[in-house]
Amino acid sequence: MTMLLSGTVPIKDLPLTLGEARFEGELLKLNDFKIPCTQGTAALISAALATTDYLKIDPPKVLIVGDNGEGMGSRLLYEYLIKNIPDFSLDVLVLHYCLPDMALMRKLCESVERCSKNPIMIADASSMYAAKAAGLAAKFDIFTPDATEIAFLADPDATHPAYISRHLFETDVTRTPELVDAAYQLKSAAKLLLVKGATDYVVKDGQIIDTITEPNIPELEAIGGTGDTITGLVAVFAYAELELHEAAIIAARSNRMAGKFAQATPSTKVWQIISQFPAVFKEYLCEWSGICYVAPNRSMSLP
Amino acid sequence: MVFKRKKKSSFEGGGLLLFEKVEEAIKAEKVLKGENYTVKLVAPPPTLRKGCDLAVEINLVEQMGIERLFRQKDEAYLEVVPLKGGGELLEIVKVTNFKDATMVKAGNMKVTFDKNTGIILNASGGGCPDIPYLHAQLIDKSLTEAPRPKEIGFTLCALMMDRAFEECLELWGKGGD
Repeated sequence: MTMLLSGTVPIKDLPLTLGEARFEGELLKLNDFKIPCTQGTAALISAALATTDYLKIDPPKVLIVGDNGEGMGSRLLYEYLIKNIPDFSLDVLVLHYCLPDMALMRKLCESVERCSKNPIMIADASSMYAAKAAGLAAKFDIFTPDATEIAFLADPDATHPAYISRHLFETDVTRTPELVDAAYQLKSAAKLLLVKGATDYVVKDGQIIDTITEPNIPELEAIGGTGDTITGLVAVFAYAELELHEAAIIAARSNRMAGKFAQATPSTKVWQIISQFPAVFKEYLCEWSGICYVAPNRSMSLP
Repeated sequence: MVFKRKKKSSFEGGGLLLFEKVEEAIKAEKVLKGENYTVKLVAPPPTLRKGCDLAVEINLVEQMGIERLFRQKDEAYLEVVPLKGGGELLEIVKVTNFKDATMVKAGNMKVTFDKNTGIILNASGGGCPDIPYLHAQLIDKSLTEAPRPKEIGFTLCALMMDRAFEECLELWGKGGD
């Protein structure tokens, strides 16, 4: 097992389940469970599966559990990972939706340090909140915050975006680089940030190394799950051994282009965006990455 | 050994429930543990102290569910405060207009509705586990008929979603923009 995507799904009685999922349009299937492909971990996994399927590389393992916000499923998820992660030989670990818990996140990071090799650590959604709040952000390789979440990372005190300082929330998006600087000064950022917004910023160790603005599809912001799909994309491209900043740049471009292909409106559903990824990859992946041939092993190779 | 390193607590909640009386705090801890919340009794720092000198540390993210539980059980408390920062929840919203839709952003949450019909088209942002559940409960429903996030959600993300929802209702009542 080399890539693990973990998080909660909104089916309260779904037990903690480890396996391989299938993306089938509006549904994500795992064992006998059918999970609607909507905002959250389901969108992340579906985007990742669409990408591994196109690249013909091993699909990710997924670890999911039902939780509608009461937190029991989230705690099971943390406890399973804390106990078992050193036994997994992971290349990539993605932590996604779950009830943020600073103490459990601290134990999980300690457990990851006992792994025989260091996986690429990616956190988004409330796992990113927990990592920042617990002062563990620098242990992560990639965060994928949006405009409000970069303000949260730049706030020295907030443990959740609902409590960020008003002046940070009101910061104009043109001043995102200042928030990025502040987040790194506070050690509240991962080694690489992909800041999602009208302009996507790719930041490595505090330095903005690229911005992506085209195609400009403002409607994507309204569509629940389009941030989750970016995290799924960047995880797979990192798993396929692209440099992390390249993985982030191509993920951002792919998501925007899928929005264009889907002719996104504010009522578009995220599965309709994900369904466009194969067409986007077919048309643009070679041009964007210089990688035009997929080897039979999991690495992407030059022609 | 001369220096003894202080061991990190096994619970870091980030929020405090403050009480007028010590017995209210003790009862609250029992109630919350009975509902499977992870909490602990603590002495509030002097800067945050109001009422008595005993508080219950909670996972701040669970503030909304806890406050609803206390209202339902008629349990007394003064307020919830974060252990760090100014202690003010974000109240401001930002509005974005699309051709036929309006998107309202509150904190990390966004709710978008059809200007002509009042139907909720999408909800985005956030990261707590109740958000995908709320997304499923709200989408394609009328603003006036959909359940309020504050009634069925549990977390601060849900609280922000409710703030956006409330603003959507107000805008819809004024014509949609």
